[in-house]
Amino acid sequence: MLGAIVALAAVTLVGAALAPDGSSKARPFAVSRLAPKSAPSPLAGRLSKVYGTNIPASRYGTEIADLEDEGTNLAGEQVSELSPLPARLFIVPENEYRAYAQRWIAQAVSGASLLRHALGAGHRAAAQLAWATTWSDYLHLGAVYGLFATQNQAIDGVPGVLPGGSASPRFVGLHRIEMGLWTGASLGSLIGYSKLLQGALERLHNVVAQAQFTPLEYATRSHEIIEDAQRDLLSGSEVPWSGQGVLGIAAGLAATEEVFHTLEPLLSGRENTEGEVRSELLMLRGLLASIDHRHHGSYPSLAQLGSYEHEQLNGYVAGALSALEQMPGTLETEVRRSPPKLPQPSTAERAKERAEERQAEGEP
Amino acid sequence: MSPLDRRQFLSRSAAMLSAGGLGALAGVVAEADSHSSAPQQSSVEQSRDTLATELATRVSFDGPHQAGILTAAQAQSTLVALDSIAPDRSTLIVALRNLSERARSLAHGDTVGAEELDDPPPDSGILGPVNAPDQLTVTIAFGASLFDYRYGLQALKPKGLEAMPNFPHDDLDPTRSHGDVLISVCAGQRDTVVHTVRELMRSVVGHLTPRWSIDGFKSARRGPTPANNPRNLFAFRDGTANPDVQDASLMDELIWVQPALHSSGEPAWAAGGTYQVVRTIRMHVEFWDRVGMFEQQNMIGRYRVTGAPLGATSEFEDPRYDLDPEGKRIPLIAHIRLANPRTPPTANQRILRRGYNYERGIDEAGNLDQGLLFVAFNQDIQRQFATIQTRLQAEEMTDYITPVGGGYFFAPPGSRGPGDWVGSGLFV
Repeated sequence: MLGAIVALAAVTLVGAALAPDGSSKARPFAVSRLAPKSAPSPLAGRLSKVYGTNIPASRYGTEIADLEDEGTNLAGEQVSELSPLPARLFIVPENEYRAYAQRWIAQAVSGASLLRHALGAGHRAAAQLAWATTWSDYLHLGAVYGLFATQNQAIDGVPGVLPGGSASPRFVGLHRIEMGLWTGASLGSLIGYSKLLQGALERLHNVVAQAQFTPLEYATRSHEIIEDAQRDLLSGSEVPWSGQGVLGIAAGLAATEEVFHTLEPLLSGRENTEGEVRSELLMLRGLLASIDHRHHGSYPSLAQLGSYEHEQLNGYVAGALSALEQMPGTLETEVRRSPPKLPQPSTAERAKERAEERQAEGEP
Repeated sequence: MSPLDRRQFLSRSAAMLSAGGLGALAGVVAEADSHSSAPQQSSVEQSRDTLATELATRVSFDGPHQAGILTAAQAQSTLVALDSIAPDRSTLIVALRNLSERARSLAHGDTVGAEELDDPPPDSGILGPVNAPDQLTVTIAFGASLFDYRYGLQALKPKGLEAMPNFPHDDLDPTRSHGDVLISVCAGQRDTVVHTVRELMRSVVGHLTPRWSIDGFKSARRGPTPANNPRNLFAFRDGTANPDVQDASLMDELIWVQPALHSSGEPAWAAGGTYQVVRTIRMHVEFWDRVGMFEQQNMIGRYRVTGAPLGATSEFEDPRYDLDPEGKRIPLIAHIRLANPRTPPTANQRILRRGYNYERGIDEAGNLDQGLLFVAFNQDIQRQFATIQTRLQAEEMTDYITPVGGGYFFAPPGSRGPGDWVGSGLFV
């Protein structure tokens, strides 16, 4: 019931956002009109020098402002415009994520157990349902950026990376079971894989507890999860047998929402990232809810997805990514500076270089 | 590449032409001549003249080494991998001989002959009555599978030839990988390449059957100087650190197989050939476009605009890793640093890259299917390409690319002239 209310609310919000008044894509904090790039400084007549520098005030507002717009400081170095955040501020968000991940691991372990029982009972439809649930639970972890290292291959590995492809004995895990379930393999032949899967999922509790990642990796995770989901799931390349790309996108979105939620306190007041990401994620969540509703309460396979629905999903996922791409930059923990300059080559070296260039250009 | 003898080509072609096509071509010759006497050319005239010159430029098919290896990369290319369905050795010989003969004729430039009116024309004719050479090169190479039991070639397999393995991060699609024979067709204009592929396929029909193909294009050389390399689809310049193809002794060290060297273990017929590595590398360009410039440049190790190594000012400047042992200027896992560490022990690992961009429309997720058609030539795959590729597994760029196809091939030595053909050394 609660789920239905949330879905209805989301659909309503999306409906409002898509109202035909042209405001559907307006971002809450967007600048409506830009000033000319080089406006003369009103202070130029009163101040002779820019405070703390030897730069004439008359230049301020023209070339210095232009430089700043391009991310260059007074020393000509390329720098970011936000002051960096202390790395310690990421401890709380990361711990929140760990607790969240542990809950989904437990959920996935239960799913794998159900899958094993369905396989043992010889019930293919029940096994397919249990497979989808377990896979979705696992994707809720947002396992990108090598977080689970070799464990990921044992759980969610795809055959393309293995010598021999899907015939490789190293091809195990959820996609091995998926291949068997959707290609008519005997259910008994899959029980062994489901036991291995359950064991690998159980081991994740320790892996997540000990996983270390830098603030940048954690902030980057917020867009990497959907980057990977778009590439591997929306294209169908990673779920060739079940076609459950939409289900996978929904799980990836949930993981992204969690990472975003834990980082929201740090985003507050830093550029417009928080508002833009929230808005885009809400729209994507609303679209998924409406697709689920249209398909009678379950996500369709990619083949069942209507072409307009697929286009909408492609577009909304891309929209979410274009907002999420700002997260790592907004949450920087160090000042990015231009690399140190190499010593200038000597005149003789320059002449040699020019001669080489001339030779490459075919000049005598 | 031969001198730019446009008038010579056009005149000769005119002489060869049948009566039907003579008028049109004579007009072109006359027009070109009138331009040469004009005091000044308009830009339209200049570009027309440039095109005529380029179309007339010929690269010889024959020679000690095959064309299309050291040849400066032309603007357009198509790679076609074929599998042999020839039932026996003699049929395979016919197919390979036909392939070389047709390629030689097209690379030289020929005219479209006429048959009886009720016969299908011997040439598709899509380039008109004259097939201008247009810098065409056709490079023929063999995959490891050609040396299996079918044609009794097992003992002649080049020592280092095997099916390309899956490297970590690869997702090779078998339908876009490997093959018995690979033909690399490169030319100045797209229609020349399209025509050549069509004619070559026709010459081997029933004997060699297509397995996969991919089209490639070079970005235009947009300067600032003609020496500056064009860009790949990540917007970085590509090919900067290639070894100098004018240096024959360097090519003997890095590119050409040398059976005479006792340690090589290569069969005698392979002398003057080279290993060709092809990798179809999908670039996730939308993902890349969402990455900050700082990170992009650090991943590559060069400035995006100039192509200069980080900290330097010109594309061709030495990155001076010796001054940066901790990677403070150019990260230790930057692409250029892993690919070519520029140390004495890695000097003999260098390869000759001759890659192209590719684009194949959009995928199911609405993303652009674009990337790099990586092509490299080297003397010893294990010592060179595979060693570099293993080092590159540490680079961060692996997140933004997925190798999806390609293969290892061996490009035999060149054909000695009319009557000879590429691969003849296998059947002596």
